[in-house]
Amino acid sequence: MGSLVREWVGFQQFPAATQEKLVEFFGKLKQKDMNSMTILVMGKGGVGKSSTVNSLIGEQVVRVSPFQAEGLRPVMVSRTMGGFTLNIIDSPGLVEAGYVNHQALELIKGFLVNRTIDVLLYVDRLDVYRVDELDKQVVRAITQTFGKDIWCKTLLVLTHAQFSPPDELSYETFSSKRSDSLLKTIRAGSKMRKQEFEDAAIPVVYAENSGRCSKNDKDEKVLPNGEPWIPNLVKAITDVATNKRKAIHVDKKMVDGSYSDDKGKKLIPLIIGAQYFIVKMIQGAIRNDIRTSGKPL
Amino acid sequence: MGDGTEEVVVRSHVEETKKLVEDEQVVKNKLVGSDEVKNDNEDEVFEEAFGSENDEQEEDSKRESLFEPDDDLRLEETLQSSKDEHDNFEEAIGDLDETSSAEGGVKDLKVDNSVVGESHREAEFDSMTSKINGDKVEAGADNCFGQIESSLDVVENTEKVNSNGSNLAAEDVNMKVDNSVVGESHREAEFDSVTSKMNGDKVEAGAENSYGQIESSLDVVENTEKVNSNGSNLADEDVNMQNGNTHSVLENGIVSPKNKEHSEKAEVISESVGPVEPWDDGIEVENWEERVDGIQTEQEVEVDEGTNTNHVEKDSVCIDNESEAKINGETGVDSTSSIVKSASSDNSLNDNIVVASAGSSSPLEKSSSEEQAETEGDSNGLKPEHDLASSPNSNMESTEVCSNSGSPEVTCREHETVQNANGGHDVQQSPQPNKELEKQESSSVNIDPEIAENSHVGRESEVVNSVSPTESRSNPAALPPARPAGLGRAAPLLEPAPRVPQQSRVTQQPRVNGNVSHNQPQQAEESTTAENDEHDETREKLQLIRVKFLRLAHRLGQTPHNVVVAQVLYRLGLAEQLRGRNGSRVGAFSFDRASAMAEQLEAAGQDPLDFSCTIMVLGKSGVGKSATINSIFDEVKFCTDAFQMGTKRVQDVEGFVQGIKVRVIDTPGLLPSWSDQAKNEKILNSVKAFIKKNPPDIVLYLDRLDMQSRDSGDMHLLRTISDVFGPSIWFNAIVGLTHAAAVPPDGPNGTASSYDMFVTQRSHVIQQAIREAAGDMRLMNPVSLVENHSACRTNRAGQRVLPNGQVWKPHLLLLSFASKILADANALLMLQANIPGRPVPARSKAPPLPYLLTSLLQSRPQPKLPEQQYDDEDDEDGFDESSDSDEESEYDQLPPFKRLTKDQMAKLSKSQKKQYLDEMEYREKLFMKKQIKEERKRRKMFKKFAAEIKDLPDGHSENVEESGGPASVPVPMPDLSLPASFDSDNPTHRYRYLDSSNQWLVRPVLETHGWDHDIGYEGVNAERLFVVNDKIPVSFSGQVTKDKKDANMQLEMASSVKHGEGKSTSLGFDMQTVGKELAYTLRNETRFNNFRKNKAAAGLSVTLLGDSVSAGLKVEDKLIASKWFRMVMSGGAMTSRGDVAYGGSLEAQLRDKDYPLGRFLTTLGLSVMDWHGDLAIGGNIQSQVPIGRSSNLIARANLNNRGAGQVSFRVNSSEQLQLAMVAVLPLFKKLLSYYSPQTQYGQ
Repeated sequence: MGSLVREWVGFQQFPAATQEKLVEFFGKLKQKDMNSMTILVMGKGGVGKSSTVNSLIGEQVVRVSPFQAEGLRPVMVSRTMGGFTLNIIDSPGLVEAGYVNHQALELIKGFLVNRTIDVLLYVDRLDVYRVDELDKQVVRAITQTFGKDIWCKTLLVLTHAQFSPPDELSYETFSSKRSDSLLKTIRAGSKMRKQEFEDAAIPVVYAENSGRCSKNDKDEKVLPNGEPWIPNLVKAITDVATNKRKAIHVDKKMVDGSYSDDKGKKLIPLIIGAQYFIVKMIQGAIRNDIRTSGKPL
Repeated sequence: MGDGTEEVVVRSHVEETKKLVEDEQVVKNKLVGSDEVKNDNEDEVFEEAFGSENDEQEEDSKRESLFEPDDDLRLEETLQSSKDEHDNFEEAIGDLDETSSAEGGVKDLKVDNSVVGESHREAEFDSMTSKINGDKVEAGADNCFGQIESSLDVVENTEKVNSNGSNLAAEDVNMKVDNSVVGESHREAEFDSVTSKMNGDKVEAGAENSYGQIESSLDVVENTEKVNSNGSNLADEDVNMQNGNTHSVLENGIVSPKNKEHSEKAEVISESVGPVEPWDDGIEVENWEERVDGIQTEQEVEVDEGTNTNHVEKDSVCIDNESEAKINGETGVDSTSSIVKSASSDNSLNDNIVVASAGSSSPLEKSSSEEQAETEGDSNGLKPEHDLASSPNSNMESTEVCSNSGSPEVTCREHETVQNANGGHDVQQSPQPNKELEKQESSSVNIDPEIAENSHVGRESEVVNSVSPTESRSNPAALPPARPAGLGRAAPLLEPAPRVPQQSRVTQQPRVNGNVSHNQPQQAEESTTAENDEHDETREKLQLIRVKFLRLAHRLGQTPHNVVVAQVLYRLGLAEQLRGRNGSRVGAFSFDRASAMAEQLEAAGQDPLDFSCTIMVLGKSGVGKSATINSIFDEVKFCTDAFQMGTKRVQDVEGFVQGIKVRVIDTPGLLPSWSDQAKNEKILNSVKAFIKKNPPDIVLYLDRLDMQSRDSGDMHLLRTISDVFGPSIWFNAIVGLTHAAAVPPDGPNGTASSYDMFVTQRSHVIQQAIREAAGDMRLMNPVSLVENHSACRTNRAGQRVLPNGQVWKPHLLLLSFASKILADANALLMLQANIPGRPVPARSKAPPLPYLLTSLLQSRPQPKLPEQQYDDEDDEDGFDESSDSDEESEYDQLPPFKRLTKDQMAKLSKSQKKQYLDEMEYREKLFMKKQIKEERKRRKMFKKFAAEIKDLPDGHSENVEESGGPASVPVPMPDLSLPASFDSDNPTHRYRYLDSSNQWLVRPVLETHGWDHDIGYEGVNAERLFVVNDKIPVSFSGQVTKDKKDANMQLEMASSVKHGEGKSTSLGFDMQTVGKELAYTLRNETRFNNFRKNKAAAGLSVTLLGDSVSAGLKVEDKLIASKWFRMVMSGGAMTSRGDVAYGGSLEAQLRDKDYPLGRFLTTLGLSVMDWHGDLAIGGNIQSQVPIGRSSNLIARANLNNRGAGQVSFRVNSSEQLQLAMVAVLPLFKKLLSYYSPQTQYGQ
């Protein structure tokens, strides 16, 4: 918030081919009158959120330490280039000691007040085999915080894409299976209806942030299937940003969770009315009782 | 160095020409000279090395402290004459290089020989040998030393070795290195082996780190080549053989036989080489590197050494040699048969010597004396043998053997070294020299300086002798730090009782038998006399375990160089030592033997390995548990699914890995989420049920290497595991990190972090988490890496290799087996039972005798029957009844007195008032007296009445009880006094209670010193007085208090019986919490009230507190001198566990003349306590003096012998309230002090 909007120096770090594509995508955005875009990056701890941010910006803007938990506060990185502003908000890991870190979520939410999230990057690792309850809980927590709609603006980013899947599976099979299982988890966690979820059509993008990522002849970082992933990612981001869904605006109400106060407001007169009648009824019963007992006291 | 080279040359000549002892002597002389020259700087070192008597003596004194370092220094010095140790090493290396380059292979070879000789001399010290060997050799020696002494040294050594290898690059260098290694090995046997490894490295020429046993084989080859080039004497091969032999010799001391063999036949050489090669073949290079890295700790170094020895042992030749040697020693004939025999004799001698040394273990003096004695004894027993052997063998070795026999352990080493030397130099030497040497040795043993002059061998032997004492000394003193206890040698050295050589032999023989008996029945024959230590059986079993483990390691392709193997061997040795510390010699050579035995068994391939290991795999879901199991067995035992829970239930599978039976229990994956812990518990409980019958030996906890759990996300999981299985599950757990081929993540600056760093970090995180989960910070679970991916890089053998070059599967299995083996050993030695058992008794602290004594000394009233409650007072005061009689009437005689009202009082004048008050006071006094008297009378009447009633039938007594019984209507008891508090809201009212007719008196217990607003009622107190049989009063009182921290309970029961006139015995039982334990006290006291003025009591008490019982005795005497003075003295003693506390107390009381009425009272208390010679005296005095009509002055003082005391005065008055104004003074002052600074500020 209020952080300095700097010229996007890191953009020059990208290989020329990547730059071209990025410019093209941003141009597309501009055509749609989007002069700025805000990307929120969330996910469990240690999956590579910050690395992804760094990869996207092309600079080491967020400190990455493999063995230590990152800071507890969200960090926003803003870069401007040719009148287009890119805001990327890196958030702390959402899992702490086996629990969903609701505190971190609250922090993120507070950080985002009066901002609009154009795209949510939900980051997880590709090279993990299982999806567990915790994943579901994370998704549920995000849903509770930002509402179901956020998933319509979501992009599933699977990091550590450069790995060789277990023996019998091909890379494609593995990655599709993995993304399927994650998407399923998201659906279950967000409690979206099937149709609703299919409409949302969360795209999946693979990423490999490691410095050891293999590169093609244009010096672009490529996935094992030979595709350069950064342009892919940006393309997917622009796609999501420009889809018809409304961007998620985080307002005061959402942050304060004021819903709880409003809930059942309408019932108040009803209850009062009901009370009136109940009291009447009881009074009548008492009087009746007195009468039947014969002698009023 | 030039000298050294020359000497070497001489030796080579000797070898070539097979010169006799003379030549050798000359060489030795030369060597000595060179040494001396070099020594000029370091006389001590040289002397030691030479083992001259003088040196020995000096060394004896100095060696303890200086030996190791000195040796190093000396070596260095010798090599380079004057340089720092490190520098020296380096320099030495440089020298070596130089020599190699300059002198060529032949010289190098010679150098090697000389080195061997040195090694013999210093064998004990390793460093010496290195010196002798020449720079190169020295380097090796340094390495050896380094290993022995410190990991750093090892590293240096390896480096040096490398440098040597690089520099020399020639085979000669390698040869030398080998020799030096041999020497080292001889010296420290176990350690020596390490050196041998070092040598191997050197041989490898730069293979350094790997120690490159593999390379060593190559080196051997090279050596042979060099030898050939030398071609002076025996075939180069022979020389090489010697090197190899030396290695073996070093290990077993069998070098000589090998050498002989070599000399005899090239085949022998080849054999020796062969064994060497296999060692080399092992992945040892990696291991070595690892070792080097980790050898920083001394223990590790030792382990390395041990492993080295093991390697040596592995050479079958070595074992054979030992057996042979023994045979030789016993039967000279064998020795005559061949060099081999002589070698065997040497070996035997060495063994014997070793044993003797072990026995001697004592410092220099012992060593010297022992050596002498041993030499004598040996000469008696062994020498003949040696002579025989030597004569037939005509080898230096034989002579060496003799010397060895003469000298203690050191000699053994020396022998080894000598043997090495012999192997190198002496093989060709005639038996004559041997004899001479033997003689010399014997003489040297006797501490003859002349011996030094004698042939080198003699010197060597002497040196050895000297060294041996030094070593022995150093071992107890200086060495221990250098060499961890795990070293076999150290243990023998530490043995307290110097053993007679015969004993040593005996012990050796059994060992030999145990290990070697299979191979050589001859030994068995000799061993028949073996005395069986009580620990022999255990040791045998331990040895079997060791053999088993070595076989396992062998099957897994791990050499004893492997860190894990080495550590296990070390720990086994340690366990053995701990266990058999009463003099049983912990096998210095047991490693050798075990390894040799393991080799043989493995080679034979017949004896099935009686070992199976059950591994239980635990871990989060999806980390690859099933996949790991499949990898272990190299086949798909369980199907895995990347995306689903592959394993739904606990299942086990059995299979064979390298012929080792392995059972693996696969478990369903656990879930990390906190909310899933219930599921986990269910899973784990099913696992628990599954393993109930067949508990696993090892738990393998798997996690992914490439998942950075930066938070403590797995804590729940780990805690759940701890909860279900108990924290002990982690004691035998191995952490497995799967996906070990993962690329380490980028560091903070975007650069890739190193793989090792990555692994270390991850391991640390998990280990720490386990530590926390298990609640034991000492836990250090070993970590093994696992990679199940089929794309994982493999080596030629098809084994998966990790990015760091580790072949993980053998490592993992080895870790598992090692844990199991250690557990077995622990079970065997019952160490675990002992260790946890020890602290318990140690923890039980001595009972607080002073406290118990104080409570014993307390004078307690004896319980009385209700109707006798006041008897005692009667007794006490009865004697002044008569005197009171007149006063009694006095009150009645007084004229009637009318109290004045307040108004009337106000009208009185001052004097009138005073008179009135005086009069009133007087009358009050009299009245009180009268009342007391009446009360007394009444009681007496009652007593009489009761006595009469007792005689009546029962029916009447009931009436009496009724009439005499307490009020039957509950009456509220008076409120408890309010605690001193500003709290208006005192909860006293909540705890009102009634005084009912109930015989139980129950009251709350108030803690008056609590905080304001704190409800001070923390307990309940109950009392009751029973009467048993109408005669025996039993009082009971119990109190339970509980505050936030702890609960206290106090229970007291007492009863007393009167018997005879004035005698009563009371018996009491107390139970109360003392600290956190309950103390039960049973006490008994008898009072004698025979005299009016003197009452005595004696009592006994027994207290059980925790697990200790204390008994006490007390005597008490109560002296009632007059109505107003009484004194109670008591003394007693309390004892427990031989600990006695004495105490006494004195209490004197001075009362007002008319006691019950007068307020004057002075008491003096004094107490003395003596415990542990600590005398505590305390006294207090308190006096209460009435001042005027309505004021009291109370003065109190106490003081103890520590100088701490307290004085207090207290005045209370019911008038003159203005006196209280005094208290305003300090208040005012305080206020003023507050005010004055403010005014200052104001100004």
